[in-house]
Amino acid sequence: MERFGAGYLEERKLVPRWPQPIPAIVALVLTLIVFYASWWIFQDPRGWMRMYTPYVGYMYTRWWLIMLIWMVYIFNYWPFKRAWLEKTHPVVKGAILTAISIGILLILIKGFFVALLGNFGIAYFNPENLMKLPRMTEFFALEYASLACLMFAAIASWLSPAWVVACEEVPWQNMNQPAKGISILVATFFLSTLVYFMTMHSHMGILYYPWQYFTSIAPPYWEKFANTVSGNFHVSWIMCCTVVVWTVETIWERFPFKLIKTDWLRRVVAFFGIIAFAWAMHFFLYFAQELTWGPAIRGTRLINAPDWRWLHVGEMAVFFLVPALFLTFYCNNWPRRFSLPVNVLVRTGITLAAAALLYIFYYKTSHDFLGTQKGFMHEQQFPMIPTIWLINIWLAHHWFMDNWPGWKMVPKTAEEMAAERAHEEVQIEDTRWSPALGAGLAAGAVGGVLLYFIALKVLPWAYKTIDVLPK
Amino acid sequence: MSEEKGNISRRDFFKGAAAGVLGGTALGMGLFSYSPMRKRFFPETKRKLQEIGVVKSLKVTNISETSWFENPVLMGDIKKAGGLLVNQYSYNWPPFGDGSGLGKGSYERGLAKIKHLIPHDLEAAWATTEKLSVSPQNAGGFAALIEVEEMGGRKRKFLLDSGWSYKWMHESFKREGIDQMLKNNEIEAFIISHEHFDHYWGAPVTFKYAPNIKTYIPDTFYPEGLDYLKAAGHRGEVVKVKPGTVNSIIPGMATYVFPVPIICRVLGEQSIYVNVKDHGLTSITGCCHFGIIQFAETAFKEIKYEKDQLYGIYGGLHISPFEDWDPKYDDLVLSLGKYKFQKIGCNHCTGILCAKKFIAAGYPVQQGTARFRSKDTAYLGNGDKIGYGVEI
Repeated sequence: MERFGAGYLEERKLVPRWPQPIPAIVALVLTLIVFYASWWIFQDPRGWMRMYTPYVGYMYTRWWLIMLIWMVYIFNYWPFKRAWLEKTHPVVKGAILTAISIGILLILIKGFFVALLGNFGIAYFNPENLMKLPRMTEFFALEYASLACLMFAAIASWLSPAWVVACEEVPWQNMNQPAKGISILVATFFLSTLVYFMTMHSHMGILYYPWQYFTSIAPPYWEKFANTVSGNFHVSWIMCCTVVVWTVETIWERFPFKLIKTDWLRRVVAFFGIIAFAWAMHFFLYFAQELTWGPAIRGTRLINAPDWRWLHVGEMAVFFLVPALFLTFYCNNWPRRFSLPVNVLVRTGITLAAAALLYIFYYKTSHDFLGTQKGFMHEQQFPMIPTIWLINIWLAHHWFMDNWPGWKMVPKTAEEMAAERAHEEVQIEDTRWSPALGAGLAAGAVGGVLLYFIALKVLPWAYKTIDVLPK
Repeated sequence: MSEEKGNISRRDFFKGAAAGVLGGTALGMGLFSYSPMRKRFFPETKRKLQEIGVVKSLKVTNISETSWFENPVLMGDIKKAGGLLVNQYSYNWPPFGDGSGLGKGSYERGLAKIKHLIPHDLEAAWATTEKLSVSPQNAGGFAALIEVEEMGGRKRKFLLDSGWSYKWMHESFKREGIDQMLKNNEIEAFIISHEHFDHYWGAPVTFKYAPNIKTYIPDTFYPEGLDYLKAAGHRGEVVKVKPGTVNSIIPGMATYVFPVPIICRVLGEQSIYVNVKDHGLTSITGCCHFGIIQFAETAFKEIKYEKDQLYGIYGGLHISPFEDWDPKYDDLVLSLGKYKFQKIGCNHCTGILCAKKFIAAGYPVQQGTARFRSKDTAYLGNGDKIGYGVEI
C-alpha cells in the first residue's frame, strides 16, 4: 500500500552532521538570517512590503503558523508521498511545501474570510463592506478586518494542535488521509467558530458606533472580571493555551497526561489540563505585571491599561515558546538522561531562564533592528509578530527541511522504532504513581508553592535591578 | 544491596519532587495570582505631594486643532507608506518632501530643499515644499495659547506647539494675534508637547517672530527633531525636560514628560499641569498619548493641588484621532466619570466620536463653534476659548 506522510515525523531520524553544539548554532544562524531577510521583505516598517501596519502583518503571521500546523499535524503532509518526503532534497522540499503553505494561506484569507464570510456572513471580515460605514477610512477598514481574522487565528492555533496532542485525533485516528485531516479540520474549525463567537465577537461588536447590542453581547460579559471590555482578556488565555499545547508536546513529551492509562480519560484530562495550565499562566503573568508596574488602571492607555496587560500576558507566553521549540528542534530535547519528570523540570527551568533573557534582549534591542519603537508598550506594536514569525521559520525548517544542513534525515529502522516504543513504555511505567514517589511528591509540591511565593518577591526586585530599557 | 536501595530511593524522591515542584508551582499560579489576596503584594502608593504653587485663573485659546483636514487623505498616505510604525520623516509629507514619493523621503533630503528659506521666507519655503511633498494641502496643525493670571494679578502667556503647515499656522497665528504677541515678546516660552509632524513641524512659524524664545522640549527627541530645532531658526535657550520629573515653569504651572512610544516613530510627550486657586488641577495636553487617566493618576502621585480636586482638561486626548475605535477606548469613556473633572475642553485627536460619547455619558464637555475649518460643535474648535477659574 502506498504510504503518505502519516508518521513521518516519528519515523525520521535526524542525524547531526557535526558534534553538538555546532549543528544547533548553524541552525540558529541560518534561521536568523532567513528571519531577518524575510522580516525586511515582508514586515519591517522601513522595508519593502511593510505589512507590519500592524494588523495586516500580524494576521498573516498568525495564519501562516496555522497553515504549517494543518499541513503537518492534521494532514500529515498529504498529498505528498513518503518516498518524496524521504528522497527530495530538504531545500527543494522546504521551498515547495512553504510555497504551498503560503498559497493555502492566501486562499483562506482572501477566499474564505474576505470573499465568503465577509460577503455572506459577517461584514467585518471584508474591508470593502466596512468602508460603507460613515467616516471609515480604507486603512482602518483593512486593520479591523485583519484584527477579526487574526483573533480567529489565535483560537485555531490552540485548538488545531490540541486535537492532535491532547485528544490524539479521536475519533478519526485510524482513518487515512485526507479523510482524517478533513475531519479534524472541520471539527476544530467548528470549535474555533464557537469559541470565537463566545470570546471575540463581542469585542468586534463594540468596535463600531453605536454598540451592536442586537448582534453581540454589549458590554461584554467579562467586563467586571477582566476589568476591561476588550477581548484581549481572551487573547491572553487562548495564547497561553497555544503555548501550553506546544510545551506539552515538546519539552514535556506529553507529561504528565501520558501517564494516564485509560484512553478516554487521558484525552479528556489532557485537553482540559492544558486549559487549566494555561489559565494558571494567564493569571500569573498578569500578576507579574502588577508586581512590576503596579496595579492596572482601567481607562488608562499603554502600560497601565488592563487590556494591554492581558495582551502582554500572551506576548510573554510566546517568549517562553521560542526557547522551548529551540530546545526540542535543535538540541534533541536536552537533557534526556534523568527520569521523565526531572528531564521535564530541567527543560522547563532552562526554557524559563532563556525566555527571560530573550524578553530582556528583545526589549533592549528590537527597536534597533526590527524598525519598531523603544518601549514595553506601544499600541501598534506586537512582539508576537516577530516571535511567531521566527517560530514559523523554525517550523518550516524542522518539519519541511529536516533541520538541513546541520542534520541528515535517515528513516528509522523497524528495530529502532520498536526499541523507541519499548523505551517509552518503560519510561511511562517508571514514572507512574507508586508509594515510593509520595515523599518526593509532597516535598516537591510544598517546594513548588514556596518557589511561587519566592518568585513574587524576586520579580519586583529583578525588574528594578535589571535596566531593560536603557536611556 | 543497601547502597542500590538507597540510590533507588533517591531517584524516586527526585522523580516525585520534580513532578511536585511543577504541580505546586502551577497550583500557586492558578489559585493565588488573580485572587483578592494577591493585593497584599502590591506596593503602597506614596503620594509625593510636590508643591507647584497656584494661579488665580487660566485661559486657553485654541489657535488650531485641525492637524489635518481630511482624515481619509492622511490615512490613505499612512496606509500606502506602510502603516502606523513608519518613521514620520520618511512619509514625504511637507515640509520634508523631496519629490521621491510617498514613504521614500528622508529628513536630510527634505530639509535641504528649504533650509535656506526658513524661518525668514516661509512663504517661499512652503511654495517649494508644496511641489515636492505628498498631500501638502491636507496639512494643518495644533497650537494653543495659554494665558495664566498669577495670584498677584500679573498675566503671563505661553505657546503650546506650533502646528504643521507653515501656511495654515501663519494664517492661524494672524487670526488670533499670536504673531504680534511673539514679536512683542509677550509670549515668554514655547512648550513643545512632542515631535509629531502636526505639533512640531510648523516651528519655523514661531521662530520667525521670536527666534530667541525659551523653548521646552521633551528630552526624548530623535536626532532629526533636535536638528530641526536649530534649522527652524531657534537661537534661544532650550530646556530638555527629563521624563518622570515635575518641571516647574512658573508658580502654579509645571510640565511633565511621559516617555511613551508613539506612532510614526516618536517617543515621549510633555504635558502641562496648572493648579487653579480654589478649583483644582487642570491639564493641558497636545495629544495626551499616555491617556488622560494616566495623567490624572500621575498628578495624584506627584503633585499637591487645590482641594485635591481634578478640575479641568484642555487639548487632544488621543482617543480616536483617526475616527477609529477600539473597545479599550470604551474603558476610558466608562472610567473617566469617577475622576470627576468639572470642565472638559477637548478637541483635535480626541475624535468627534469620542466627544459625542463623552456628551452622551453626561460629562461636562464645553462645546465649540465649529469655525475656521473645525468640523463639529461637539468640541472646542479653532478660535474657541475656554477659561478655568474664570468664565469666558
